[in-house]
Amino acid sequence: MKDVAIIGAGMTPCRSRWVEKTFWELAQMAVSEAVHDAGIHINEVEAGVAGIYNDIFEFQAIPESGFQGIIGLQNKPLMRVTNGGATGAYAMLAAHNMVASGQHDLVLVVGVEKALDCYDYEAESNTPAVVQTIGYSWDPWFERPLGAHASESYAEVIQAYMDEHPGDLAPMARAKIVELLCEHAQNNPYAQRLGEKVTADQVLHSRYVVYPVRVLETCVYTEGACALIFASAEMAQKIRERTGREPIWLTGTGAANEPYFVGNDITRYKVLHRIYSDHVATKKALQMARINIEDVQVIELHDAFIPQLMITLAEMGVVPLGRANDLVEEGIIMPGGKLLVNPSGGLVFGGHFVGGSNMMSTWSAMREMRARDLEHGLIHGTGASLSMYGVAMVLERRA
Amino acid sequence: MAQTGKAGALAQSKNGKKKAEHKPKPRPVISPAMLPMQGISEVHTPDGTFLQRNDAMFTAMKHTQGEFSDFFRALRDEGKVLGHRCPGCRHLIIPPFMRRCPACNFVDMQKEYVKDTGIMVATPVITVFAPSRFKGQEPFGTGRVFLETADGKLSDTAMLVRVRTTRGTIRPGIYKKGTPVKIAFCDSRQGEMLDIFAVPQNELTPQQLAKSPLFESEIEWGRLSETEFGKPTPQLQKILQEVRAHFQELAEMIPQSPRATANLANWRRTVTIRTGGGTFGLVLIDGELQVRKEGVKDPDLILAIQDPTILLTWLRDSTEPVGDSVKSPALTDLVIEGTLILNKPELETVTRLDRVPRSLRRDNVAVARSVKPHRQTP
Repeated sequence: MKDVAIIGAGMTPCRSRWVEKTFWELAQMAVSEAVHDAGIHINEVEAGVAGIYNDIFEFQAIPESGFQGIIGLQNKPLMRVTNGGATGAYAMLAAHNMVASGQHDLVLVVGVEKALDCYDYEAESNTPAVVQTIGYSWDPWFERPLGAHASESYAEVIQAYMDEHPGDLAPMARAKIVELLCEHAQNNPYAQRLGEKVTADQVLHSRYVVYPVRVLETCVYTEGACALIFASAEMAQKIRERTGREPIWLTGTGAANEPYFVGNDITRYKVLHRIYSDHVATKKALQMARINIEDVQVIELHDAFIPQLMITLAEMGVVPLGRANDLVEEGIIMPGGKLLVNPSGGLVFGGHFVGGSNMMSTWSAMREMRARDLEHGLIHGTGASLSMYGVAMVLERRA
Repeated sequence: MAQTGKAGALAQSKNGKKKAEHKPKPRPVISPAMLPMQGISEVHTPDGTFLQRNDAMFTAMKHTQGEFSDFFRALRDEGKVLGHRCPGCRHLIIPPFMRRCPACNFVDMQKEYVKDTGIMVATPVITVFAPSRFKGQEPFGTGRVFLETADGKLSDTAMLVRVRTTRGTIRPGIYKKGTPVKIAFCDSRQGEMLDIFAVPQNELTPQQLAKSPLFESEIEWGRLSETEFGKPTPQLQKILQEVRAHFQELAEMIPQSPRATANLANWRRTVTIRTGGGTFGLVLIDGELQVRKEGVKDPDLILAIQDPTILLTWLRDSTEPVGDSVKSPALTDLVIEGTLILNKPELETVTRLDRVPRSLRRDNVAVARSVKPHRQTP
């Protein structure tokens, strides 16, 4: 496989609702930012990947079809990727593979999502309709008819983990992570919750959405877009000569999807108290990059729910399973700790526009690696029922 | 067991005699209240005024149950749970979500009934805020069960089911990982997952446990022995007086807050609140809250809480200008934690009351008033 570089990134601000803009405009804004950031003309881009999670959010089947002229890829290949919450990461994986295979030298990946156009006319509120729309991701025979939905599903994993490891995922540790991510988000100019202050005490007193998960421990619904430009080593070199800017290298990728149904045999079924997909994906990505988890200095992690963030970090090997409280109590991810986690504020404070959230994570990790002179970063995406999809990618700075 | 092939044919009364078949009145798949009227509205933002169009993305379905038809028919007509067993690796899967075993290179699996008893894979979770199409069902518990098989083992996969308790609404502590459960059957069944639910075995009599299938109507529901609080103590009685006074204060503040009025709009419920300090009543009528000194006769809903001080804390957060220092848990949390017990799973009234304090703060009603303690409810 050929080396792959990320040479440009563009973001829109994250908002709960962009009534001012459609998803066409959001996508175009992000692409425009990304090509200008990369210092290229869009005509140089050979192919594209669009990450869009949900047709219903966009109010259109094959929603990417309208992009072709808008994002400047007319008469070139554009592939849409939809893989649940991990759509953004999987779209990046597809773009990576298009370059690594040698098929293309310059590929655009753009992730976009609407959400809050969904509206429950009975409840006179957006939220139940958004939750219902995500709920359509569950199977229509066995689980969706029972009212399965995203919070319920992730809460099942969290609860099962707590059954297995009593005392871990302690409320105060979770609350302090929320407080930390809120502080991180204040350095992200595109964060949805810029200007907000949430304290650990507020988290501990916030309502349950699905027991045992509280409302301030959950990610937000977001509308927005992010675009990245992937280049082969030769192309990256040419562009660097033009712009004088060092790219960030994507040196490792790993992905794994767990089975839908739950059982005890981890080789055949989903084991409820694990997020084994995160474990497998991270291991593969680190192996490919020829580094260990200890070499990673910044992780931008898909935090759909704060207790899930803690489990994922344990699955990645940052702490042992059952010792996730150490992340806070030992100061591992706290200010001054050895690992920077979600400097963007994550999906809880930065925003979760599903098709592109993991691209926002990449944008943020690249930014931090340059600003803080870090060598290795890790990007993570999860999604689908019971957090069964997992993607991990290693970023490297060679400057 | 007779197999009639008709919905609800197995419904039986407690004396074992067959009851008349339940034929539920057909209901629309989508509540008419969820359907928008045609129209375009304007949204004003700092960047200008934008149009939004009322619309819906829907496709009506006659959705096939395909190869799962036998499983759903067994639930509906036989009161049994059907699984699939692989003749190669001997794994037994519930629900029977595939017909061939990929681990054995897609050898055909065989139908096999499982027992209606088993264990929880993990502690079930409790949904407080539900998706649109499940509104009104909260709080509901969902969890996964391994069911026993004929060879005395457990199924290799687990099935997601609703979990219920005979003792009020679902709350933590009733189930945990490994809790022995029995699958019970609704009297009226359509051939769907909501035809069945789990009940903890320790809430059933030996006779109920031995019976298969066990029907919903054969279970004693609504046993709220936890809410018989005995004679009120003078101290708790005094606190109850304060609670009533604060509720009265709240009732007077609501009309001054458009948001709080909207929170209670289009909702009518009579509620009796039983506490360790005595009983009183609330009446919600389309945006208005009325306080009754005594419990309401034949209430729509009963709330029971041993310590009225907890309600007082919630009320103080509601009626006093506390700013950001809200300390009381939401009423929904009190329900979910089992402190506030409902006599039936209807969270809507409590959820609506929970929205009122924030509305009063947002409309600056709470700041504008101060509450005198110990005021007697009229």
